[in-house]
Amino acid sequence: MKFYVNARYLIVPIMSIITILGVLIGGAYAWVGVALFGINTVIDTLTKDIHLRADFDSQGESYGIKTFQYGIMYFMLPVFIALQIALAYRIFQFTAATPVQIDLFYGIAYQSGISGINLIGAVLSSGLWAGLGIIYGHELSHNKKEGFLVSRLVMALSGASHFTYAHVYNHHLDLGHEDDPATAPRGRNMYAHAWLSHMGQSRYSYNLEEGRLKKQGKSTLNVDNRWILGYLYSLPSLVLFVWAGGLIGIAALFAVWVIANFLLEALNFMGHYGLIRTHGLPVEHRHSWDNDSVFTSWFFIEIGRQCDHHVRGETYFWELDDVKGPNYGIGYFSLFVIALIPALFRRYVEKHLANWDEKYATDDELAIAAKFS
Amino acid sequence: MFKIFKPSPTSYQVKLAGSNTEFSVQRGDSLLNSALSAGVQWPFKCKVGSCGTCKCQLLEGKINPQLDFSYVLDGSEIQQGYILACQTMLKSDLLVSLDLDK
Ligand code: FES
Repeated sequence: MKFYVNARYLIVPIMSIITILGVLIGGAYAWVGVALFGINTVIDTLTKDIHLRADFDSQGESYGIKTFQYGIMYFMLPVFIALQIALAYRIFQFTAATPVQIDLFYGIAYQSGISGINLIGAVLSSGLWAGLGIIYGHELSHNKKEGFLVSRLVMALSGASHFTYAHVYNHHLDLGHEDDPATAPRGRNMYAHAWLSHMGQSRYSYNLEEGRLKKQGKSTLNVDNRWILGYLYSLPSLVLFVWAGGLIGIAALFAVWVIANFLLEALNFMGHYGLIRTHGLPVEHRHSWDNDSVFTSWFFIEIGRQCDHHVRGETYFWELDDVKGPNYGIGYFSLFVIALIPALFRRYVEKHLANWDEKYATDDELAIAAKFS
Repeated sequence: MFKIFKPSPTSYQVKLAGSNTEFSVQRGDSLLNSALSAGVQWPFKCKVGSCGTCKCQLLEGKINPQLDFSYVLDGSEIQQGYILACQTMLKSDLLVSLDLDK
């Protein structure tokens, strides 16, 4: 049981490494990260009706091994760095016009040089998998000291180091209210949300630092300013890609960051779309959507158990459970595909919102909801 | 509410000043969660260190803060020893003061 409970969260680490190998082997394999996303969407959709609970032994203790899970989360930092280096290496070869040919590396065949089309595959693969940094960046933003810095660094690889502060101090406090940029109000589409939420959280993080430094009598322009520091953490990526490919390098890194941040905000979008909370009242299970289909649960290390997470924010992901909160009933991959088409998403979500209004909302929350319809 | 736990090297004792409430905290558990599981009506809201509801004053003992308190507590509170119980791990036995009527 212990092995199964801990090993099931290894899907992303394993697939990330496969993606890196794909970029390094080159040729059509550079697309492997994209292909995996497609396959995952199919698996997630086919298994959407399987919902499992968290597993505890007869004493009520979780089977999750903290040292192991933390080890994996920390290990993912060098994995995501390796992914960027692999892409930078391909950018370098592309701009240096390295001839496209099969070479051997310790007896393993790989394609030296890369065609434009396969470079696009490498960029898309890297962006999608870099975007999954969020599942570790998120978990570590809550859990304990050194984890916070690792969270900042993982997020910095996607130019999103501000997330760590904004998530804890803004999103968890202001959830379901217009003061929370990460909660999408009814009627907003995922594309608009990605932009507004990203900018809103970064602005919040800036204001937070400004306030803190002012209290200490320091100026905002300061390396003590963790908003600035967060962007400085992203500088090594920028230097690497400029060095690897000049303007092409910058364009590639920008594409990776856009895709990664889009995925991050997609998770925020799916986790809270249209849900409302009267400000100042406690956050309850009804203020989040759960996505706990089996594949989503394992792949996204239970980040879909939003209802429980927002009430017990200190709880490790492997202990989060079904709390009978609002639930889309499908996984994140399937929902993401629906949300990519705003008109389709609006239609899909209608019945879920109506159900929320009827079963979960308080009168005050309904009054706020009425303003959106 | 009075609880006695066998002292063990893996846990610390916490006393609330001005009351006879005492509870133990296992290593690795937060001050807030241990208080709640001991039945203390400790006020809290977010449990992630962002709302400040769980704050209390540390009178004696050493802690290991899990998050920077300065976003939630102001300078004078920090100087007076205020801490956020949900983000506090223990390094020794503690004496804390908590306004339970909040
Ligand atoms: S419960 Fe919110 S800061 Fe501790």
